Amino acid sequence: MIKLPPIHIGKLSLLLAILVWLALLFVNLVRLVGSLNQMDSGIAIEFTWILQTLFYLTVYGFYNYSISKSTQSDFLNLIWRGVSTGIFAVAVYIIIDLFIGSLGESKLASDPFLETFFYHVRFGLLTIFLISTALLWQHLILYQKTKGVVKQWQAYEIAMLIAMFLVFFDRGVSDYPFFFGMVLLGILAVILSTNLKWIPYLTYKEKWKSLLFLAIIISSVSYFVWYTFSIEVERNYPVNLTYNLFLISLFWFVLVYAVLSFLVTLFNLPTSSVFEQKLTEAINFQRLSQSIQPEENEEQVLDILMDSCMSAAYADAAWLSMTSEEFPDGFFQEHFIDRKTREEIADLIEQQKPAQEWSTEKRLDKLNPITLRLNHPKFESVLLVPLVINKSVIGKIVLCKEVRDGFNKEMLNIISTFGSQACIAVENHRLLNQAILNERYQEELKIAQRVQKSLLPTKLDHNHTFDICAYSNAADEVGGDYYDTYKLDEDRYVLIIGDVSGKGTSAAFHMAQMKGIFQSLIQLNLSPSDFMIKANAALSNCLERNHFITASIFIINTAQQTVCHSRAGHVPTLFHQKKLNNSTYLEIDGLGLGILRNMQYENHVVEKTFTYQSGDILVLFTDGIVEAKNQKSHQFGYERIRTLLEVSHELNPLEIQTKIIDSLHAFVGGDGLIDDDYSIMVVKFTHSNKES
Amino acid sequence: MLTIETQHENGHDILLLRGEVDASNSVILDEAITKAVADGSSSILVDGAGLEYISSAGLGVFMSYLEDFQEKEIDLKIYSLSDRVFEVFKILGLDQLMRIYPDKKTALLS
Repeated sequence: MIKLPPIHIGKLSLLLAILVWLALLFVNLVRLVGSLNQMDSGIAIEFTWILQTLFYLTVYGFYNYSISKSTQSDFLNLIWRGVSTGIFAVAVYIIIDLFIGSLGESKLASDPFLETFFYHVRFGLLTIFLISTALLWQHLILYQKTKGVVKQWQAYEIAMLIAMFLVFFDRGVSDYPFFFGMVLLGILAVILSTNLKWIPYLTYKEKWKSLLFLAIIISSVSYFVWYTFSIEVERNYPVNLTYNLFLISLFWFVLVYAVLSFLVTLFNLPTSSVFEQKLTEAINFQRLSQSIQPEENEEQVLDILMDSCMSAAYADAAWLSMTSEEFPDGFFQEHFIDRKTREEIADLIEQQKPAQEWSTEKRLDKLNPITLRLNHPKFESVLLVPLVINKSVIGKIVLCKEVRDGFNKEMLNIISTFGSQACIAVENHRLLNQAILNERYQEELKIAQRVQKSLLPTKLDHNHTFDICAYSNAADEVGGDYYDTYKLDEDRYVLIIGDVSGKGTSAAFHMAQMKGIFQSLIQLNLSPSDFMIKANAALSNCLERNHFITASIFIINTAQQTVCHSRAGHVPTLFHQKKLNNSTYLEIDGLGLGILRNMQYENHVVEKTFTYQSGDILVLFTDGIVEAKNQKSHQFGYERIRTLLEVSHELNPLEIQTKIIDSLHAFVGGDGLIDDDYSIMVVKFTHSNKES
Repeated sequence: MLTIETQHENGHDILLLRGEVDASNSVILDEAITKAVADGSSSILVDGAGLEYISSAGLGVFMSYLEDFQEKEIDLKIYSLSDRVFEVFKILGLDQLMRIYPDKKTALLS
């Protein structure tokens, strides 16, 4: 397959336009030869018209393509294209006339062939100028287009297309269809020319430039009109190329739009500063509404706010005063005002009643900027702008003007919007900082959680005569439950379980203290009751007044198969006796640690020793299990644990523990959370020492 | 949820507790007792008939006043506790330290 090179529409239409123009020139020269020699050249007039129409279409194609391709779409560049084409065409016109003039009375000056050639050159240039400028106008008209405007333009284009072909029907005679078409196209052109939305977007300087450019275009068009309809008409050519509906309408359109643009731009000049001001306000608003970047701070936002307010109100001076804890005397930021003047004005403001009412206004949603008159030699009016963040006034901006009543309602509106927007930005910034801080606390808590987990033993001391397992879960990240084991010698082991009142971080700290006290006291080989007395004394010095600890301690002697036990306010321990096949709670008195912080504690602690057999089970736990509630607010309770142990006493300790915890979770309900720390330790005496 | 109603009766301040005392609201109980003390009460009665549950934090509140009241000779009596709530006091051993009565009558007589 032959690969066709990609068709370049621009180049192609340019080439076609040149070819059509040459053909047109050739055809008309041949016709000239015919008429000079008074013989029929045999070329119908329609042939010229077809070429002429083709020329229009190819020029249109070329410019339509080249303008839509052009990347620089700013208005001045667009207009400049029209200006340059116009200047070029006018220059060629003048050079041609000068050339003919320089020939003087010579024969060549009135040579019909040369005249016809120049006529075609002028026609080409005129067409190019008019069509290209019309297309530029199209771009300006369709700026910020609406469906209606697009429809209007399409209608105009179709009407122009019909106008091109009109010549085939009226055969160049100016008759009713011609005038009717001219009026219709004229009106359409005027309607289209009211679309001038691009003008306000020009800056003051750009407006002056565009005025200059438009003036050049208007003069070029006028020159062409004058030349075409007053000079050319007197000359005699074999065929008239320019006096047709299409070109006349195009003249009209280009001229009307240029004149209207010129006038509107001119009258827009005095108000252009207002439009620029509004644009600046919009940009300021956008700057304020962007959330503050982490590396920026509140002062920068407030700085932008002050600049924005000052430019919106054309204020001569301003200051910002913040009521901040860091600056008890107030924090001030002054713009174009010195400290002395600021204090003078602040005093004057405070003397005014509206200002006093304003500063004590409690309903913050009613707190809007207010204006005041001043009797100050320099500044005669001020505007107070409140800064409200998170339902409290954090400060105010005071704008000062040298004229009396210098602030109007529009300024108040925009400044009020600026103020609230800036406050939202500051508030977001603060919230973000808060969130970052919270994130850090979360991290710290995770570390605390890890540290606390490491306070619980990973390996529980025991020998071959009993199995042991334990589990602890905190309601929050950290908790106040504690369990531990200690090996006194080959046959004697200590178990402890404890629970700090309350939960969370404070409980966790006390739990760590408990571990320290337990680990130090246990090495003294104390009896359970002595241990509790010493522990109470030690904890009394370090527990907060309304905190206490409950604990149970067991010293297991595997040689004698006895357990010596003491309880300090802790939930009773469950004991299963295999021989009796029942589970009971060990009943023993005992006061919690840290409740009586004096020697009287000794009277409230007892110890008991009991024997065990192989197959017996001890279940130690904390009140989190007993007091866990289901959705009906029923507690898990002692009885449930007891029954569970009775039915599952054949299982090994880990299975018993899992069973109890699973039942607990089933009781509380699928997603119901247990809102207290809970721990459990299960000991099962496997076989007696004597048997081994 | 915990609501505390304060009544004055023949020189006694009666705190009627209703609901549950846990870590989140134990401070309300603490404030109520502190207020009674600040108002110069020398006899505080706590009616626990409507008390459904008390956590260790709630017990901690009563516990923290024990020594203080002993020194200032302020009477703190609790009565009409449900069995379940009394059990909590008992397990901790507070029944040995505090004056807990089955009903208002016995509390006032003692």
